[in-house]
Amino acid sequence: MRSVRALAVAALCWLSAYDVSLAETPKSGGILRMYHRDSPGSASIHEGASYSFNVPFMPIFNNLVIFNQHIPQNSVDTIVPELAESWAWSDDKKKLTFKLRNGVKWHDGKSFTSADVKCTFDLLMGKSQQKFRQNPRKSWYDQVNDVTINGDYEASFNLKRPQPALLSLLASGYSPIYPCHVSPAEMRTKPIGTGPFKFVEFKANESIKLTKNPDYFRKGLPYLDGIEFTIVPNRSTAILGFVSGKFDMTFPTEVSIPLLKDVKSQAPNAICVVEPSNVATNIIINSSAPPFDNLDVRRALALALDRKAFISILFEGQADIGGTMQPAQAGLWAMPKEMLETIPGYGPDVNANREQARKLMQKAGYGPDKHLQIKVSTRNIPIYRDPAIILIDQLKTIYIDAELDVVDTAQWFPKVARKDYSLGLNLTGNAVDEPDQSFYENYSCDSERNYTNYCNREIEKLFDLQSSETDPEKRKKLVWEIDKKLQEDVARPIILHSRTGTCWQPYVKNVTVMSNSSYNGYRYEDVWMDK
Amino acid sequence: MAVINFDAELKRAGADATHGWRRLTFLAQRYLLGTIGLVIMVLFVAMALSADLISRYDPLAVDSAHRLAAPNALHWFGTDSFGRDVWSRIIHGARISLAVGLGSTALGASIGVIVGLASGYLSGWVDLLFQRITDILQSLPLLVLALVMTAALGPSLPNVIIAIAIPLIPTVARVIRANTLALRELPFVEAAKSIGMSEMRIAFRHVLPNTLAPLIVLATAQLGSTILTEASLSFLGLGIPEPYPSWGRMLSESAAEYVRVAPWLVIFPGIAISLAVFGTNLFGDALRDILDPRQRG
Amino acid sequence: MLAYIVRRLFLMLVTLFGISVIIFVLLRIVPGNIVDILFDAAGYVDPADKANLEKELGLSDPIVIQYLKWIGGLLHGDLGYSYVSEKPALQEILPRIPITARLAGLALLFSASIGIPLGVLSAVHQGTRLDYALRVVSLSGLSLPSFWLGLLILMASVSMLGWMPIYNPNPQTWAEAFAIYCIPAMAVGFRSAALTMRITRSSMLEILRQDYIRTARAKGASDASVNYHHALKNAVLPVITVIGIEAAFLIGGLIVTETVFNIPGVARFLVEALRWRDYPIVQNLVMFIAVVVVVVNFTVDMLYAAIDPRIRYGD
Repeated sequence: MRSVRALAVAALCWLSAYDVSLAETPKSGGILRMYHRDSPGSASIHEGASYSFNVPFMPIFNNLVIFNQHIPQNSVDTIVPELAESWAWSDDKKKLTFKLRNGVKWHDGKSFTSADVKCTFDLLMGKSQQKFRQNPRKSWYDQVNDVTINGDYEASFNLKRPQPALLSLLASGYSPIYPCHVSPAEMRTKPIGTGPFKFVEFKANESIKLTKNPDYFRKGLPYLDGIEFTIVPNRSTAILGFVSGKFDMTFPTEVSIPLLKDVKSQAPNAICVVEPSNVATNIIINSSAPPFDNLDVRRALALALDRKAFISILFEGQADIGGTMQPAQAGLWAMPKEMLETIPGYGPDVNANREQARKLMQKAGYGPDKHLQIKVSTRNIPIYRDPAIILIDQLKTIYIDAELDVVDTAQWFPKVARKDYSLGLNLTGNAVDEPDQSFYENYSCDSERNYTNYCNREIEKLFDLQSSETDPEKRKKLVWEIDKKLQEDVARPIILHSRTGTCWQPYVKNVTVMSNSSYNGYRYEDVWMDK
Repeated sequence: MAVINFDAELKRAGADATHGWRRLTFLAQRYLLGTIGLVIMVLFVAMALSADLISRYDPLAVDSAHRLAAPNALHWFGTDSFGRDVWSRIIHGARISLAVGLGSTALGASIGVIVGLASGYLSGWVDLLFQRITDILQSLPLLVLALVMTAALGPSLPNVIIAIAIPLIPTVARVIRANTLALRELPFVEAAKSIGMSEMRIAFRHVLPNTLAPLIVLATAQLGSTILTEASLSFLGLGIPEPYPSWGRMLSESAAEYVRVAPWLVIFPGIAISLAVFGTNLFGDALRDILDPRQRG
Repeated sequence: MLAYIVRRLFLMLVTLFGISVIIFVLLRIVPGNIVDILFDAAGYVDPADKANLEKELGLSDPIVIQYLKWIGGLLHGDLGYSYVSEKPALQEILPRIPITARLAGLALLFSASIGIPLGVLSAVHQGTRLDYALRVVSLSGLSLPSFWLGLLILMASVSMLGWMPIYNPNPQTWAEAFAIYCIPAMAVGFRSAALTMRITRSSMLEILRQDYIRTARAKGASDASVNYHHALKNAVLPVITVIGIEAAFLIGGLIVTETVFNIPGVARFLVEALRWRDYPIVQNLVMFIAVVVVVVNFTVDMLYAAIDPRIRYGD
């Protein structure tokens, strides 16, 4: 019965969102000009692991279900149907069935059917003949046995055990439905979707162009005639372009807080919002080799962090402190503040923490006369490098002399995989504010993305427990407990959760920036321009 | 390669210049621009050498309380987004620029000399081989070659020095070869040969010293361009990595973000680069006038 | 003459062959390849997937085979496929060439139209204050990093005009077209202008000292006639050579300027492709640049020889 309720809530949300947007009568026409922060490796969302793919290519596709595009905080209650008309869980919660929309056409004119749904998820689960070059979110479907179809307009996901989070994963911008009749290789260069916009061209390092899909199944949409992205990797050049009116909108969630001030002073009419992006800046620790195989040294590291200083330097105060899950208000699963502050290193008195840290360091054999020499490795990208510079400065307070080791993108992952580092500065973006996604991906013993190889079978049992828990309140308590334990184990110290800005010209209407994910809000079917 | 005769010149100018100091002042006036260049160069070298003494802060020290401070009494050139003192960073940056400038010029010049001498003196297949290698190196723009080299070697100070030095080799080798070829025909080399001096000795004892003047002119001229190449590489993100305060790096990526909030972040490192290069260019020009009168203007 | 040309052409081929070997080997030394980068986005590498992809891209072949495949393709006009976009490399490179060529052409035009007259002026007025001032200007031109100049121009145009030249493939107005190409061209051409000016000045000086100029003067020709008619005509020769040197010089400036002004030309493309370890693009682009430099130098030499009868066709 829950599913019916969810559907009703979702429908209400959808309607209410429409009420707001219809306050002004939308105008059709116009090409939305945006800049893109870099050149995505291909046009295939399923083969990407950065929202550089989602922003330009999400408008081409549809999902089965999607987070309501006008409610900033994504949650299971804001999920609305898209290619599916409705969904229902079986009584044992191990089968999720979607009734599909009739009469939807792919951009090349072929009809969309349940076979396309099966094809997409078979590809993602690695079960089909054709393969993706890379498949970064394979683990999302670990609990799915198979996808079965019943006629042309019904598809079911059969699960190994109950997993309420699956629906949220399917509602992410990362989960578009691909056509059966187009190969993965073609999807990388000339994607075909069912979405509001058709792919026109993608010139690497230059531009991406989309045009209106006149046969979109939602009649009257999209309002825009097209979307054009100019690729401008240099941030200040890009912002100058926006300020001078060359672009109608910035790349979403890419305007840093200092740049935001710049935009506001140069273009006072521009509308800017700042939202958390659910990206956590964290430290990966090589606990398999000295000196960080010693828990005391790891704890000292955790105690040495002055999170407020990081936030004031990098975000001018506008970022959040939390554990693995995104902090409140925007985050759904954050520990209460009182609980957070009991974790070592999260207490407000930094000097007292560092005093304690120095004691731990002395216990481990270091001191004012014997500093620990290490390297902090990170990628050669400012958002990685900048926090590393601050970290090195802070480590000086606990007898650690660290040197920055800047690693080229091509070598970063192999280096981490070889365990050829002692501390690494890392960024972890979460597509969905959902414990299943964060915990399994980053902390389970066998996950490929568990760079630190942190492995605690006890905690892993708790991961499964929370994942199959269908009572949201009980699940939340479990998640808090897990998150606290992960921080106490210094599995991967979380420095901060970032916030970023998005700006658009005042005539651009109906843009909503999500507050707990940077991956899900770019369908842009009902964005319009009052020009 | 006759070195200019200063005494004759002084006499011609009618200066009473027997005294050392007077001579210097006369020269300084005669080559005013070169002297200015020399002074600039000396200042930069002094700055680099005494960086630890004259910098007011640790160039790497982060200070969250004084971010993006405009130039003031405490921070002469302001602070960057980390609260690091720009003056201290520029002073320490002089070390990087000079290390790269001098290091790669010296490395490129010494290899170039060896190649040029060998090529000009030994002739035959050695010459042919070296000539072709020089052709190859000269057919690629300096920055392109340096870009690929730093990508191949990885970004670090020694690697950047090597990457910038290699493209210099052909320029130096060409000049040395041409000079060596000319010198080989001169009587004193013939004479040395006739008294049974070994080829090697002739090359190093007689030929090399006589090619020094053009070499110095060339090396000084290259100094500025190596500093510029390092700045360009760092600007493109392939030069000296953080946290070293390299001037080019200071102008790239994150610094450019603050371009209008904190223009001093763009202005001062840019001035530092331009001034250092300008100094070496002025000096190099004067040096060429003095040592290589054929080119003289 | 013919023998000389043939010999030069042969040497050109040797040089190009050498470049192809060097660039190929250098790229293979670069740690990490495209596969690492592609998988980096995914956050982990499955060794089997990696091996498959390396095989698919031909990266698991022995290096000599890889080289022969590349050169073999090149000789048939097949440049291979970009690893990143999976489109033919030729298709990726070709459309970017006119953009850079336009920029380079304008920069050369700019540098010649500023550099030559100022160089002549400086030489004619040798030793005067004007000469001093012009020399200082040209030296400072050589000292300014072109990316810094570009940044300053961008800053100034936005804060003063509220507008900036950002590349647009289809400029709407003449003013826009001017801004898109001419401003970056000036940022690059500034340094070339300084170089041209210096070389013009010194070659002009050399000629002014020549006997026939003295003779002309002695015969009572006016200063202006001597300077601008006799001398300049002859001084143009060395200036032509400068264009050869500048071809290589300009490309360095274009790389940073295209980055600053976000112009999607070949020069910036090279940096991007290098970052992606997109070997087919990098290799072919470097070869393209080398061909341009070699051909320009060759043409300049031929031109020089054709104009100046004093040149002998030997070594």
